[in-house]
Amino acid sequence: MRSAIHVGIDLGTSNSAIAVFDGEAVSVVANASGETLTPSVVRIDGRGGRTVGRRAQRALGGDPANTRGEWKRLMGTADRLPFEAAGAALLPEELSAAVIGSLLADVRDAAGFMPRAAVISTPALFELPQNHATTRAGRLAGLEEVVLIQEPIASAIAAGWRADPDGTWLVFDLGGGTLDVSLLETADGRLRVLDHAGDNFLGGKDMDGALVDWAAAALVRRGAGDLLGDRASARGRRALARLRAACEQAKIELSRAVRAPIVVSDPAGDGGGEHELEITRDELDVLTAPFIDRSLAAVRVLLAKNQRTPDDVARVVLVGGPTLMPGLRARVDEMFGGRIAAGVDPMTIVARGAALYAGSVGLDATPAARAPAPAAGLAVRIEHPSVTADLEPFVVGRCLPGTSQASGQALPDRVRIERDDGGWTGADAKLSSEGSFVVQVRLDRSRRNGFRVRAFDRGGAEVKMASGTFAIVHGVSIGDPPLARAIGVARADDSTQVYFAKGTPLPARRTLAHHTIRPIAAGSDDDALAVPIVQGESVRAHRNRLIGMLHLRGVARDLPAGSRIEVTLELDRSGQLATRADVPGTGQTFQDVAFVLVPTASVETSERELSSTNRRAADVQRRTFLLGVPAAVQAIAEVSALLAEADRALPAARAGDLDAGQKLRRLLMDVNTALDDAEALLEWPDLDDEARRCKLTYTPMVAQWGTPAEQQLYEQELEAAGRARRRNDAAELELHLDAMRALGRAAYCRDPHSMTDAIEWAAAHVTEAMDVAAATRLLDRARALQGHGSPVEPAGGGLQALRAIVTEIWDLFPSSPELQAKSFDSGIR
Amino acid sequence: MTTDSDEVENLLRARLENPFLVLAVAPAADIADIERQGQRLLAELAAGLDGARRYATRFGARARTPELVRAAIAELRDPARRLAHEWWARGLEPTS
Repeated sequence: MRSAIHVGIDLGTSNSAIAVFDGEAVSVVANASGETLTPSVVRIDGRGGRTVGRRAQRALGGDPANTRGEWKRLMGTADRLPFEAAGAALLPEELSAAVIGSLLADVRDAAGFMPRAAVISTPALFELPQNHATTRAGRLAGLEEVVLIQEPIASAIAAGWRADPDGTWLVFDLGGGTLDVSLLETADGRLRVLDHAGDNFLGGKDMDGALVDWAAAALVRRGAGDLLGDRASARGRRALARLRAACEQAKIELSRAVRAPIVVSDPAGDGGGEHELEITRDELDVLTAPFIDRSLAAVRVLLAKNQRTPDDVARVVLVGGPTLMPGLRARVDEMFGGRIAAGVDPMTIVARGAALYAGSVGLDATPAARAPAPAAGLAVRIEHPSVTADLEPFVVGRCLPGTSQASGQALPDRVRIERDDGGWTGADAKLSSEGSFVVQVRLDRSRRNGFRVRAFDRGGAEVKMASGTFAIVHGVSIGDPPLARAIGVARADDSTQVYFAKGTPLPARRTLAHHTIRPIAAGSDDDALAVPIVQGESVRAHRNRLIGMLHLRGVARDLPAGSRIEVTLELDRSGQLATRADVPGTGQTFQDVAFVLVPTASVETSERELSSTNRRAADVQRRTFLLGVPAAVQAIAEVSALLAEADRALPAARAGDLDAGQKLRRLLMDVNTALDDAEALLEWPDLDDEARRCKLTYTPMVAQWGTPAEQQLYEQELEAAGRARRRNDAAELELHLDAMRALGRAAYCRDPHSMTDAIEWAAAHVTEAMDVAAATRLLDRARALQGHGSPVEPAGGGLQALRAIVTEIWDLFPSSPELQAKSFDSGIR
Repeated sequence: MTTDSDEVENLLRARLENPFLVLAVAPAADIADIERQGQRLLAELAAGLDGARRYATRFGARARTPELVRAAIAELRDPARRLAHEWWARGLEPTS
């Protein structure tokens, strides 16, 4: 049996690593210098020559204009990073591709083949555009297949691989640029992510920044020049880069020693010689304390959100270079009573976990050319889990159509499965009329189990098979990766149609029905109807983030308002989104989704937004304390701290620091989300009243005119709304009220009197219709039908025709333009 | 003004995608049986077995896909979400 090789890549802010898993053991592949970590640094010289890794990192201090590192936070943006001597400017994903290419070459040198597929890890809080950019980086590096995994899940898989006690774990992953804290649970060998939190702008880089500020101030006191004041000049940038490298080195040394030197040559760039500073571990602890406080605050929030205390956590897994700092380890140790997992290498655990995950999803990195040619005989397709915690999983097989006839064989009568070690043989299973079989196999614990399928004809003679071997690893069963944030479609009334709730396992696919809110002209490329795709938890579309836009343009024939469209959203295992809209009326399919990049707001725009957000925050805080709603107080608890952080990021953003600009944008988004949540909570009394009104209005309608299915659903929605009211859960209540309204209105439409009401309403508002002439014609037809009988009972079974006309009339009335503009100009309802 | 039939249709789709219905297991089933049944259905769907392609509900048979099965397993792994699905499953199971 050919053994598959699985490859996992940790694409880190500061360092990257690659690991391989052969079904038995996982190992980290060393680079040409014999190191398991490759610095995520790229240098391009004047002739276009590229250097990646340690050699490039050495050039960071002396040649910062042609050497780049720490671009991970910019993934998914359109910010190109310049290389002056080569006259080139590369996207962050192109730089990542260079690092991935270097890692793949290390595997080629060690294993003798270039991997064709790999799992790449990304921070849990990465959004869709950043994940897309990571996949593109893998493809640019030559990978045919890329699967992404969230870093904390990769860490947990590696730490929990092969039988560990059940319980709740915390993965504390502090990388160079990001913090991810994740709460996981293992039960009966099954690993599940409970929740995660973190900060996309907190990492070792920020601690280095504090150390650089400290060292620069010390140099000023010595009269060695003002490096920070001179950061705008090329000379200043070079000196600062040298200082940063020296500080990072000192920080690493302080993991082992209690004091370390910081040696900077020529800080002022005037040939002024070498300066040596000294820093102690205690001084470093003081400098980094604010960042450690922030990271532990994220842990406390995560635990509280999941109704857990540090005592409930059985084990803490530390991941990332900064977690090697004794000061940080001591603080985590203190918080969790010493339950830090031992024997885990924080620098390579993510790559190991990614490789194990590649094994669990059956992602083989071996090139097709290495696969042996198929043998002659009966071909059988065998479906089985690659890795499972179940000791008796099902295996399903099917003889492939045509293969038996082609080889002159009849379909076998039965099959038997045997384990390679001879420790188990299954009972004979008869083939179904489809040529299939279902067998429960037995696994040996915590190892790779090889199996062979044997087939027999009616007479008991063995049938020759072209294939029939497979392997199942018994180990930690990993659930499909959960979606980090909900994804849906923005409707023209500013509501969100959720397609995938937060936590939905990937891959996922869903089709839902919508209607267009206006006509689309045939053949026109200018007339496009927008279907905005948003990510976020809010029922109000504008409170979520726009991540993609599908345009319906160039329709084969005129599409009237109210035309039905079926929108399908599909997410692969990595969270990559594919979207399509089918228009049954024309038989057309639209798939040209424009994915939105992480927005790059100008500093001026961010400054204006910061000032307006400060005003809004003051207003919401005033109202919150005035009304004294505890949940709203809690929702805005972090707002002041986040705004202070935004104020601190502003000067660096003004000086052209792209990373600071992104951080500022993200902070403003977080503040506004918290303010939105608080405002929603302040509106609770109105929502509660609305719930009462909905119940009084729609319950009799559904009872009288609803179908049995509608009545059943309404009853359940009503009960669920009642529970949400008792829990004061505004978001949940809004969802159930939306459902009750839809069911109530659908039932009401069957009431003959509703036709009269609707026609009268439309006649009074006909000038507001998107197509006044069409609306008038439809009204005339409706009245003609009504004229042939009683107002509520048209003659000749015309009620159905009347209802169809009323539906057409309704579709000609637009949603409010203000709401439509808010919902990213959505053209559907 | 909205086209309510879409919303009702979408709502009905969502409710009839109840994990217990999709996996054809009883709300009292334990997690090991649920996982095993889910894995079996995924294997049967991947092998293209006809019997796996539909599941029964009180309001008629629905198409079963690998995505629905995976989502159903994940939903039932979470005790809080499982409780909600047990509640919603009432009255939606096939009558026979």
